[in-house]
Amino acid sequence: MPKHIVRLLGLVTVIAIVAFSAKYFLIPDSFYQYGHYRGNAVAEIASKVPKLQGSASCESCHKAVYAEWTAGIHRKATRNNAIQGVVYKSGPGCEVCHTGPAGNHPSKEAMPLSIEDRVTTITHSEHKVHPANVPARKLLLSPEDMRSVCLNCHEKLEARPIFQRQIEVASHSGEEFCTKCHNPHSPRIIYASLPQVRRGDPQAGKAVAAVCSGCHGVAGMSTSPTFPNLAGQHADFLVDALKAFKSGVRKNDMMSPMAAGLNEADIRNVAAYFSRFSCGVTGGDKAKALLGKVKAANCAACHSAGGLYGSGAPGVSGIPTWPNLAGQNAEYLSNTLKSFQDGSRNHPVMTSIAKNLSDADIDNLSAYYASMKCK
Amino acid sequence: MTTQDKKFEEQEVALSRRDFLGLLGKGAVCAGALVGAGSAVALSETQGSKHAFQQNDEQYAEAVNDPPKIPDYNWNDHQWAMGVDTTRCIGCLRCMEACKMENSVQMDANHYRTWVERYVYLEGSNTAIVDTQTDPKNIENTGSETKFRFDNRYRNAKVDKAFFVAKLCNQCEHPSCVQVCPTGATFKSKDGPVLIDTTYCIGCQYCVQACPYGARSFNQSRGTAEKCNWCYHRITKGLNPVCVEVCPTGSRIFGDRNDPESPISLFIRNNHVQVLKPEMGNAPNVFYIGLDKEVV
Repeated sequence: MPKHIVRLLGLVTVIAIVAFSAKYFLIPDSFYQYGHYRGNAVAEIASKVPKLQGSASCESCHKAVYAEWTAGIHRKATRNNAIQGVVYKSGPGCEVCHTGPAGNHPSKEAMPLSIEDRVTTITHSEHKVHPANVPARKLLLSPEDMRSVCLNCHEKLEARPIFQRQIEVASHSGEEFCTKCHNPHSPRIIYASLPQVRRGDPQAGKAVAAVCSGCHGVAGMSTSPTFPNLAGQHADFLVDALKAFKSGVRKNDMMSPMAAGLNEADIRNVAAYFSRFSCGVTGGDKAKALLGKVKAANCAACHSAGGLYGSGAPGVSGIPTWPNLAGQNAEYLSNTLKSFQDGSRNHPVMTSIAKNLSDADIDNLSAYYASMKCK
Repeated sequence: MTTQDKKFEEQEVALSRRDFLGLLGKGAVCAGALVGAGSAVALSETQGSKHAFQQNDEQYAEAVNDPPKIPDYNWNDHQWAMGVDTTRCIGCLRCMEACKMENSVQMDANHYRTWVERYVYLEGSNTAIVDTQTDPKNIENTGSETKFRFDNRYRNAKVDKAFFVAKLCNQCEHPSCVQVCPTGATFKSKDGPVLIDTTYCIGCQYCVQACPYGARSFNQSRGTAEKCNWCYHRITKGLNPVCVEVCPTGSRIFGDRNDPESPISLFIRNNHVQVLKPEMGNAPNVFYIGLDKEVV
């Protein structure tokens, strides 16, 4: 055999030996075990540590909040009958809003991260490298965050199904934070169970009220249609109003100096005093009141006894820190709405609502609420 | 051609043109028959038994007799499937954020294992406008690269109808991605999910191209393909996949088809379910109700 052929055969043999031994040593035993893949990979993938642990895992430390959630509508937001035969799980659990807790919570040692967590993340826009352990997110939400979290599910979007509770932000809350009225763990407002604020003493309030009666009347029915009636008004609202005058949040040439002279107890007492009187109906233009009734649908969410979801007596607010409007002087009501419009009075909700009203709307609404019975 | 040439041809060429073409025809018929028979065998193999995709009898026996060593779990006892009730989806994208947390997916809007599409038909229009969280307006609306939200762009538009559709890997019975993987880094597990062995993935992205549903992406930080695996590390521990766990409206349903009373079995039995792109022949394992004509 010629020499060059022998050399060639030798070379081929060496290559073959290298190739077969490489195949023998480099392909793991479990390859081809279950198919054209590494059989051990299945158990490796399954061995990763779950990060989100479910609502039940929060209970051991956060008992009070967990109890609130369990009793509230966020726990019960299921519709078992939605699709025949399918039992839906409960509504939003802890990790729906507090996403990604278990990974970094309560400590890395207690809840080890998976290997994948140690990689860094590259984002496209700036190609910046985030630090490792990406899911380091605040778990305790600030009011601003909370608002954005609530709106994630509850902002009115065209594509959302009807059953989902949705709000038009501008008309529902304006700039107000959701948590002002709602407990995010149990967001449905149950009026009866709202905490009672410290009540004032009406008898002690009588002495303070002497200076008020010049304008607001002895029994809370004011002496001029530009002054508000106080009779039967929610005491909590009166307290808030006086405090606002005292702190300067609300300004009025008459009321600011009056309120400045009152201490906390005086404010509570005088509010209790006026809220005990029975209110009257001042009446308004009947034709305008009829027109106003249509427009008042926008106000009913807050200024009716049924509150946000029910129907109740118009003009009687469901929440004691919101004012009753029924029977109030028409002129005072329209002045108030106009002061929200021109910015001399400010309120997160009312300012944006008032700015969407025409002068005629204001007249009609004022006439409507003035002619409503306040009980 | 000269006379001499013709003579030469007749003498030397044993196979005439006519014979050659005839033979070619016969050969093609035989080859076709062979291929046809082969694929028929392959088809009967996958349909007749519980063989996973591209698994031969020997490997199937191994999978039954010597399952992967996962604590308290035997993949022979389960056949996972998922349902999506699009009529209940509110487009909050909690599923997507939770998935990224759970699986350490890259946090920007363009990398995801599951996503939600918004279909909007404006009045008088017969075609839907589709957007997802990757839409620049939606990214701008969140003000953050790591939070996801649909903006309220249709607030003042005349919308005829609109709805959300959640999407994810369909964990197909005949996965195109597994078929094309050159290294055996992705495979169909016996209990349903199509998994990725990241240590064997070379990042060629052939699977990303092959998937008819666009369910795969490329993870630049890991240098491997990325896809939903129904949180295989959770379902093997008795937990739900994380998107199912956090869905606030119960729009996603998950369970074991071997259990006739599991949520998914009830879901499939009691509803008229559809799959995406059935014409592709991938036989998806994610079942939808409420799909519209334009959803693909």
